[in-house]
Amino acid sequence: MSGNRGKTIVLWIFVIFGLVMLSAPTLVVLGASFTSGNIITFPPDGFSLKWYAKIAGASDLRGAFLRSLVVASICTVIAVPAGTLAGIALSKYAVRMEKTIQVYLLLPFTIPLIGSGIGLMLVLGNAGMLGQLWPVGLACCVINLPFMIWAVTASASGLDPDLELAAANLGAPPLQTFLHVTLPAVTPGIITGALLMFILALNEFLVSLLLVDAHIVTLPVQIYNSIRSIITPDLAAISVVFIACAAAAIFLLDRLVGLDIFLKSK
Amino acid sequence: MKAARTAYPIRWRVMDALEAVAGILWPRFFRAGTPYLMLAPAILLVWLLVLGLWQMADASFRTLDTNTFLLSEDYSLANYRRAVTESLFITVAGRSLIGAIIVTVLTLIVSFPYAYVMVRTPSAALRKFLLIALFLPFFIGQVVRAYGWLIILGNQGMVNEAFGLIGIAPMRLLYNYPAVLFGLVQYMMPFAVLMLAPALTAIPEEIEAAAGSLGADWVRTFRHVVLPMARPGFVGAGLVVLTLSLPDFAIPAMLGGGSQDFIANAIYDQFFRTSDQGLGATLALLLVAVGSLLVGLVFTLFGAGTLAMGRAKA
Repeated sequence: MSGNRGKTIVLWIFVIFGLVMLSAPTLVVLGASFTSGNIITFPPDGFSLKWYAKIAGASDLRGAFLRSLVVASICTVIAVPAGTLAGIALSKYAVRMEKTIQVYLLLPFTIPLIGSGIGLMLVLGNAGMLGQLWPVGLACCVINLPFMIWAVTASASGLDPDLELAAANLGAPPLQTFLHVTLPAVTPGIITGALLMFILALNEFLVSLLLVDAHIVTLPVQIYNSIRSIITPDLAAISVVFIACAAAAIFLLDRLVGLDIFLKSK
Repeated sequence: MKAARTAYPIRWRVMDALEAVAGILWPRFFRAGTPYLMLAPAILLVWLLVLGLWQMADASFRTLDTNTFLLSEDYSLANYRRAVTESLFITVAGRSLIGAIIVTVLTLIVSFPYAYVMVRTPSAALRKFLLIALFLPFFIGQVVRAYGWLIILGNQGMVNEAFGLIGIAPMRLLYNYPAVLFGLVQYMMPFAVLMLAPALTAIPEEIEAAAGSLGADWVRTFRHVVLPMARPGFVGAGLVVLTLSLPDFAIPAMLGGGSQDFIANAIYDQFFRTSDQGLGATLALLLVAVGSLLVGLVFTLFGAGTLAMGRAKA
């Protein structure tokens, strides 16, 4: 079976290329954050935690990180009920004008981010709501809502409509059927969607950049603004905060629903 | 009395009360409207975007008065004329469009083998490893990733330092078109793999085995069986990569260093450097139009692929 070996070799060349490309920036940022030198050099100057000590003492960075957490929480809190109900409605019921509603709900995804961001900036700005954090969270929720709906519709296939009928037949009123039968069936989707919404809002850069002013910058914007031509390791140390958050989200996702959920065919 | 209370626990009372409230707020004869009620919050949220488009359309017809730095009261098509005639915008638009197409093709080429190995490998550990390697950058965000590339490819970056050790003169690896495209491929790869994987899972392994036992080698099996059957995945992945890379801001800004601006950077500059909201809104609307046209074209030609949201379809 020399043919099969050829297949394996070709596939693996691509996979290794992909792995290196995906992981290189993360690994390098991690490595650079532990350097003891004042600039990032290769090979590294030695091991130290001094950059972490430096960022821990920087109140502007701590503030930016807290603001990012607030934005991500607001986004998730709005997106979970809205996206869950919409996802269940789309996957369970024969809705009139289903195609139109689907295309409409895909708008956040099909409208380029810069377009959505500028549009929201104009709307929220004209309504006099800019300069606060919650409109940023709301905006992050709007632009990422399709992810929440996808996550829920994907797991709604695990919901057998007969189960709801059975519950009703046993005398459960509609709300009870919803809470005890429908909702548990789509829980994996809700968890996946909530984690996605949180992490995407935590990392959201462009919409944050458009909606924040100098007093309420979020962490990605703060990092972007601090990048200069000479690259210092303190930015690497802050970036590790994001790497840690990403790792925590992946761990949670794997524990609660299993990463394999993304490989399932619809 | 006491016995009766334990036989009818408090949770049941709460549920009964909730049911009663629900019954009053949403009586039985409204039942047919339930799905629309459930869709309402999402529709309202997205409505903000529609409002945004509307306000952008309004601004796009007003020109900037350079004396007062305010938008004019009367409407004209002057901004649209500028957007399609000024060579700067044509160059930037061409650069973004060609870039997005190249990025889409490259991303699909790199992502397909990755998705294939991830789906087909018999080793659960390898699958998990590949998934984690995929999700980590996906969850880290563009700014940090672009920052990583700055460290690796910068003039005093790792690659140039390593070159220096073996006596090669430092090269300018960043702030050019290939660097931006490379950054975009890396940014897009997780999206593409996650869109391709479900389509590949849907292809039964037996079909590949059947093609093999009928005498097809693996190249022919891929060409005539796997790739055609994975089409919904390619449509979904291609669409996502195209629509996300065309209007990208961060990667061209950070890896292009101002010399490789994409449309989004030009729009941003109109709003925050030139303060010409009208022209900026015009450019943004044109970008939305081009993006929607592309999506509509792909949808009508190939269907929604793995992007469909609704009830399970074949």
